[in-house]
Amino acid sequence: MKKLLVLGLISLFLMAADCHKEDVDPNDNSITLTFKGKYDTEPLVMFADEYSYEEGMNVKFQLFQFYISKIELVQNNNAGVEKVTPLSDVELVSFKGIVDPAEAQQGISFTYKDLPDGTFSHIRFGLGLTPELNATNPSDYTPPHPLDDHYWSAALGYVFTKIEGNVDFDGDGEYTNEGKITFHAGKDNLYKEVSFPIDWDIEDGHVGPINFVVDLKKVLSNGPTDFLDFRDITQDHTNNPEVYETISNRLKTALRLE
Amino acid sequence: MLGKQKNKRRRSLYLLLGIGACIFLMVQCSSSKRDSDSGDLTYIPYQPQPFTLQESDRFVKMQIPADNPLTEQGITLGRQLFFDPILSADSTQSCASCHQPDKAFTDGLSKSKGVHKLEGRRSAMSLVNVGYFYKGLFWDGRVPSLEAQALIPVEDSLEMGNTWEVVEKRLRQHPDYPSLFRQAFGSTCTDSIDRFLVAKAIAQYERTLVSYNAPYDQVMRGEAVFTVAEKRGFDIFFDASSSLPVSECGHCHLDPLFTNLDFLNNGIQKVGTLDNFPDKGRGAITGVYYDNGQFRVPSLRNIELTAPYMHDGRFKTLEAVIDHYASGGHFAENLNPNVRKLHLSARDKADLIAFLRTLTDTSGRIVPVLENPL
Repeated sequence: MKKLLVLGLISLFLMAADCHKEDVDPNDNSITLTFKGKYDTEPLVMFADEYSYEEGMNVKFQLFQFYISKIELVQNNNAGVEKVTPLSDVELVSFKGIVDPAEAQQGISFTYKDLPDGTFSHIRFGLGLTPELNATNPSDYTPPHPLDDHYWSAALGYVFTKIEGNVDFDGDGEYTNEGKITFHAGKDNLYKEVSFPIDWDIEDGHVGPINFVVDLKKVLSNGPTDFLDFRDITQDHTNNPEVYETISNRLKTALRLE
Repeated sequence: MLGKQKNKRRRSLYLLLGIGACIFLMVQCSSSKRDSDSGDLTYIPYQPQPFTLQESDRFVKMQIPADNPLTEQGITLGRQLFFDPILSADSTQSCASCHQPDKAFTDGLSKSKGVHKLEGRRSAMSLVNVGYFYKGLFWDGRVPSLEAQALIPVEDSLEMGNTWEVVEKRLRQHPDYPSLFRQAFGSTCTDSIDRFLVAKAIAQYERTLVSYNAPYDQVMRGEAVFTVAEKRGFDIFFDASSSLPVSECGHCHLDPLFTNLDFLNNGIQKVGTLDNFPDKGRGAITGVYYDNGQFRVPSLRNIELTAPYMHDGRFKTLEAVIDHYASGGHFAENLNPNVRKLHLSARDKADLIAFLRTLTDTSGRIVPVLENPL
């Protein structure tokens, strides 16, 4: 009798659990994208950490940030027709507040909810802002919003990418005012789409974190013979195409899906 | 015998009358005490009228808390409180003592003076467009909202030097304020008047201190044109011309608010390490070493009216400020990289100042009214 009672209770529990599963809202699906900054193999930490650059130079960073926009998940059916699930219009990936290795390991995360069930083959987004978004300005937004700041009114557009820091030119450990670096790039034609193949089944739950890694060294240098030489240039405000186009092009190659 | 009985009756009557009078008086006293301490206010109509703030279509949208919408009655009460020294311990100091309308809501001092002429820690910040400052208030960003900010000066010993208990008592017993609180917030009795309603009212008033009609704005709207010097200054300010030197101003003093609301070290203080700042600013709030010596980027709107400059008022003139930035400032690990040695001629500096003066809004459109209502 006692065994029957226990069996009965277990059956009831399993039924309840099963019912609960059926009750799951199909829109409960979510995904988290995480961006982690690196400098070569090291975690990217603002202010504190010193990194080796080319030709014996060392560098410390204070700011590295870039916009991503038109963030989408893509499904392909057998006929090759795309079904696009928009995740967000725009995000600001900013490592500004990352001042210790633990924070660097954690990265910058964005979570998107209410996703449909499905198998997704690609995630894609633009580095920088779409021309449509770049034609807006902070007055179009209620703070806090990624686009309530970083607008350069003289250029009628946003600064897509910012890199700021200090350079020790001869690696002697001494940093001075002369070693300040500021590179700001933003212009419609610097917008670049990137797409990463994935194979994610999203159904009844959370996927992620999906880790993207961006290597700041690769943004600045393509090796000992092809690098942004801070001895010659410490600043660009999207004035010198050789500088801002290089930074924008390299940002694309510096980003990978882990 | 009969006469004695009469007298006795009379004495009893007098005694009863006396006791009755005493009871009457006690009841009356008790009643009048109740009226003053927790008097009913429901007989006063509560019909708040929504207030539509005139905003610039070039500004970000102002965040107004859902639990403190702007109303004509709330703003009226907030303005009254803002200018009333009733908030301070010795009734000498109002919000307006340090935030004077004719100085773009600053006080012209390096460090503000509070009750008993005590010198404060920092210079009073302008309140112009403060309703748009959503990244924390004060020079160090220690509070998130105007409602939270308004609670602090009352109990700061160097500002108003009071306690909220005293302020609440004064307001509850005041001949006019209970009615104003009723009209603004629907307070049902005097006891419900408290510090949080005071803060809400002052926050409402401060959100109306909007300035967007300076000559600069008129130029941006196509209603006026810059002079040659102002245009040159504009181009230098925003690094907008390849034939002119850069000044790097526009990185932090972003149009249209002329601040990015961030906190940074702009190199005014020479220190050995970041622990040596005499005022740690943002770092004292966050506890982050690299935030030491960082202060809010102030708006440059009406900057001509807000001397002296910086959080400690060390620079008396705009010329001194520009000379500082041209020098590149004192190096520190967290010196903002946009503060760097500039190559500005005397004419460049003069034109920069000519441009900065176009940010002075004398149109009286810092709404709704500036004058002391008392």
